[in-house]
Amino acid sequence: MEQSGTSTLLQGAVQDIASDVVSALRGGDHVRMSGTGAADDPEGHFALAAVRVLGADLLLPHVLFPTPPAPEALAVFRNTVEAFPPRADAAPTVRWSHWAMRRTLSRFDASSSGPLAGDEDAEPDAAWLDAATWQVLTHQLAVLAPLAVPGDDCAVARAARRRPVDVARGFVRAVRRRDWQQAAGAGRWLTLTEGVPDELGLEAGLDFVELMGGNDPRVALQVQAARVMRAAGALV
Amino acid sequence: MTDTRLMHTVGARALEWLWAHRDGFRLEPDVDPEVGFLERFKPVGELALICRVLFREGVAGSRQAELARKLLDHTWRHTLDGGRMLVRGQRIEPLSPIPFEVYLPYKELGYSEPEVERATVLYHRLDSWAALELDPTRRLGLSAFQRRFGLTPRMPETDIVGSTWLGRTPEPWTVSGHIAYDVTHTVFHLTDWGEHPDGLPPDIADYLATWLPVWIDDWLDLERWDLLGELLVVDACLPRPTLDERAWQGFAAAQQADGAMPAVRTMPEGEPDELFDMIYHPTLVAAFASVLATSRALSELTHAAS
Repeated sequence: MEQSGTSTLLQGAVQDIASDVVSALRGGDHVRMSGTGAADDPEGHFALAAVRVLGADLLLPHVLFPTPPAPEALAVFRNTVEAFPPRADAAPTVRWSHWAMRRTLSRFDASSSGPLAGDEDAEPDAAWLDAATWQVLTHQLAVLAPLAVPGDDCAVARAARRRPVDVARGFVRAVRRRDWQQAAGAGRWLTLTEGVPDELGLEAGLDFVELMGGNDPRVALQVQAARVMRAAGALV
Repeated sequence: MTDTRLMHTVGARALEWLWAHRDGFRLEPDVDPEVGFLERFKPVGELALICRVLFREGVAGSRQAELARKLLDHTWRHTLDGGRMLVRGQRIEPLSPIPFEVYLPYKELGYSEPEVERATVLYHRLDSWAALELDPTRRLGLSAFQRRFGLTPRMPETDIVGSTWLGRTPEPWTVSGHIAYDVTHTVFHLTDWGEHPDGLPPDIADYLATWLPVWIDDWLDLERWDLLGELLVVDACLPRPTLDERAWQGFAAAQQADGAMPAVRTMPEGEPDELFDMIYHPTLVAAFASVLATSRALSELTHAAS
């Protein structure tokens, strides 16, 4: 019982923070971090865990617009990076998600160790994506959607760019299965990718995903991120 | 690519079931006119179409070919009463295309009923027959059948393709079960039921090469065997079929030991006639997919060897 209660609280905190990010993406404002000060979380555990779930996207509005984040948001972000280092046997998506947070931190945090350097900051291996079926590739990319940022290259982004048709197939599969979060994440990658078949109708497709699944702020976040990137002429 | 024997076995078993349950191909001569005498012609017409594909492709074993011939003879002589039931259907509902559509594959296989042909030629002269409000895929099929019969379709097939869902190559994530059935039949008509893969316009062939694998993946996981079977036929109609191994293994595993293929998930229960009506179609589709995929697999081997 306690576990499921904890899980519900964490999900709630993730949703709250995702809503803040969506608001900032829509308004070009700071991420307010209203979800990190819950009265039933005096130690801030949920806040850190929730930020870890959301990953680098916490500061996405400041990457896309770009503006410096509020000091308290940056502090929570830094604390999260330090609190959840990946274990040696962590899954590739966990290692990459952590890497994405470190990269974002280095962008804004003068007190961090500076530009990514050294063993800890080296890119994890991405070979597993090249061997993945289009179904698995799309699922993994959707999990790693925070890495889909214009101009920021990495091995995961290169793997996505090499297989635009496969990711487009994965988008269709996710929509058919009403997995809106996966569809939104895949659509965000496709927004940054050349060679996507025109008939996919990506822009309307993302609007459809938002219409059907946008009540979930994590879905809305991906759709809005894609919209901002497209408006900024991310691809071309 | 899938083991050819696996694909072949699905069709061989399906034909055994169809032969064992041939009495299910039945008309209802005394049906209430409000229900419609022509309602029960569909299974017979589909059987004839698929048996014709089986003879055309020439990949069936001697047992399969014998069963197909016996099924055609049985349905022509008994179900259709030597073609007279088709005449009766035309008299009850003169402008319905159904009797003609059922008749055509039998004619192509050597059966004949001159009165059906006389009526067909007459109706073809009528503006009314050309004006029937059929949906575009059905209209495409009727024009294709008229061409095969030797008539010049009043609506050329090339003019109709653009009105079909597939002809517009729309957003692939909008496909539903109903749309998917329209897609499969558009492909059947454009390729003359798999005879001419080059009958698919290149943009449609490219579109299907990109998106068909997604739909196959989806309806395989949903265990919609009837639709999956039709999509496997479409795959075998493409210039470069994938003969997807995972899909074929799932499809074969869904088939019962006696050859019956459930339409959805597992076998339904019911009285024999009800059961026939629920599963004859997926079982026919299994025979169809099997013979086309086997033929394409053997062609690939021939190309590889030459």
